[in-house]
Amino acid sequence: MLEILEALLASTLEYFPALLFGALGATLSERSGVVNVGVEGMMRAGAFCAAVAAITVPTPLGVLVGMLAGGAMAAVHGYLSIRWRSDQVVSGMALNLVALAGGTYLLEALYGPNGTPPIQQLTRWHLSFLSHVPLLRAFSGHSALTWIALTLPFAFHLMLYRTPLGLRLRAVGDKPHAVATLGLSVPGLRWLAVVGGGMLAGLGGAALSTAVLDRFEQHTPAGLGFMALAATVFGRWTPLGAFFASLFFAAGNALRIGLASSAPGLAEVVPQGFLLALPYLLTLVLLAFQGQRTHAPAALGTPYEQESR
Amino acid sequence: MGDRLRAVLPSVLSVFLALAVCWVFIALTRDAETATGAYLHMLRGGLGDWAAYLDGGRVTLLTRPLGEATIKAALLLFTGLSVAVAFKVGLFNIGAQGQMLVGALAAAVVGAQLALPSALHILAALLAAGVAGGLWALIAAVLKLTRGVHEVISTIMLNWVAVSLVDNWLAVGPLRAGAGTNLSTTGTAEIATSAQLPRLMGEMSRLHLGFPLALAVALAIWVWLARLRQGFETRAVGLGPEAARAAGIPVARRTLEAMGLAGALAGLAGAVLVLGTEFRYPGSLGAPYGFDGIAISLIGGNHPLGVALSALFFGVLRAGGTRMQLLGVHKSYPELIQGLALLFVAGRMVWLALLRRRVVPTAPNKQPEPSPEVPRA
Repeated sequence: MLEILEALLASTLEYFPALLFGALGATLSERSGVVNVGVEGMMRAGAFCAAVAAITVPTPLGVLVGMLAGGAMAAVHGYLSIRWRSDQVVSGMALNLVALAGGTYLLEALYGPNGTPPIQQLTRWHLSFLSHVPLLRAFSGHSALTWIALTLPFAFHLMLYRTPLGLRLRAVGDKPHAVATLGLSVPGLRWLAVVGGGMLAGLGGAALSTAVLDRFEQHTPAGLGFMALAATVFGRWTPLGAFFASLFFAAGNALRIGLASSAPGLAEVVPQGFLLALPYLLTLVLLAFQGQRTHAPAALGTPYEQESR
Repeated sequence: MGDRLRAVLPSVLSVFLALAVCWVFIALTRDAETATGAYLHMLRGGLGDWAAYLDGGRVTLLTRPLGEATIKAALLLFTGLSVAVAFKVGLFNIGAQGQMLVGALAAAVVGAQLALPSALHILAALLAAGVAGGLWALIAAVLKLTRGVHEVISTIMLNWVAVSLVDNWLAVGPLRAGAGTNLSTTGTAEIATSAQLPRLMGEMSRLHLGFPLALAVALAIWVWLARLRQGFETRAVGLGPEAARAAGIPVARRTLEAMGLAGALAGLAGAVLVLGTEFRYPGSLGAPYGFDGIAISLIGGNHPLGVALSALFFGVLRAGGTRMQLLGVHKSYPELIQGLALLFVAGRMVWLALLRRRVVPTAPNKQPEPSPEVPRA
């Protein structure tokens, strides 16, 4: 029993960073009032660029390149939605499509359809002092990204609720006009949040291709970006909410993989497809119970116009 | 600049800019000749090889490519309309993919399991697909209306539920052709011949009834939205639910109707795929037609006739895309063109600003531009 729990926990921690970085990125962007449905595309760009870069440079530098790629995608989103007040959902979906088609094309042109050549994975930290403690053993053998993911939400929480910058970021998503009255730049704050969020999403993608896998594959991130988006909403647009929601989704993911491989007997009673659907069904049910009408930032999705009001 | 022109021009320019950017992209990675050649191949693959035909070639040089283009266009048109109809009532339907999937499965089951005279059988299969897709979409609409769950999130979740249940369970388990035996096949049993959509040009082309059907549906939806009271009320809800409610419009009812219709349209896309070309539910649908629908709808300005035009155009490119491979150019270029075009459409305001400067330099810059008719998430 304990071994099963350990395996599940280890598997959860494996997928957790990618989801969390994506969700945290979307949270940051949406807290400033800019909808970000392009997380999937930004993660894809991050995963691809990180893997390609890591072929020639050390992998940690590759991860950095992935972050920059996510940030670059987000800059396009920011240019359209902040500078030109375009519809944010449309712009985000467009980024997803471009990343999907462009990534498919580039991958096949450069390395063939199956994926990039294998790269050096990020170093896994084997913590010997944990290896004798039952259950906590699962925390050993992960890359630094897992540990960053376990702490970053708390740092973001402090930043968002305890610093002047956090107050401004929250205010710009709720009442941009009030922020402008104080003489602060609404576009400036939104740019910061959008590009920062994009870099986080890029980091999430990079986590997939450098820590979970050791290459970029055609289907990375396979909808994980949309899942991160769901975690953002489910976590009520807060860093700690994103933390728990991502943990929950990652656990669901680990559970279905674990159940499929470790308990073949179960698969005969409960169809595997049903197990696969379970996390999504659960999310729907939980969202329905949560009734999250009031939690979204008030100005979310509304382009800021100085003249209005 | 007329309002009509203002609505259409950014989309047209975006498509051409996307074409140009991709041309440059091929030219940079290969050379200009290959790029032009690839585009010509794409056009020949989608619109027919007119030069060879006029040189005395067979007429199938025209009919076959056109058939492939219309097959693709019919699918894109249905999913595009699905997204567009949801937009009209103010919902963003990211779930066309899931709705299409359950629709396709329903059509495959009815097509294979029932024994009916041909016309009835086709009708029954289409109906089943429409109902299945509609019900799937209604889950999201009901969650939105009663629990305030944002439809972008719920439809994404429903997509995965559909994929997991259908592709990973039903189509490989209980509904697999020869389930319970040792036969290893993928997908459901083949549908009866009586349920197949008739080919309109016989052996000369794969063009089937699905295409005229899609066009007729687009026309009907245009009439509904532009001429009927109900359609007007639906659009009013999309523009502002509060104002619509104040005007006495039954907001919840119009929302449910529109989302149900959106799902039914996506379901029909699945039916057309199964009844027209696949003849059974394949192991998986292959291409993300539902996501394509978003691009098609937005490039078409969410207007039924615009969506039809945009579906036709990209149907031609898609059908011709495979032809580009003859020159070693990757077949995903049409998708890239589509994605870039959507990105440029998202930059609609940039186009309008550029156009304002060029076309009417003296016009006073009075009001901020009205944003495109798209709901705020």
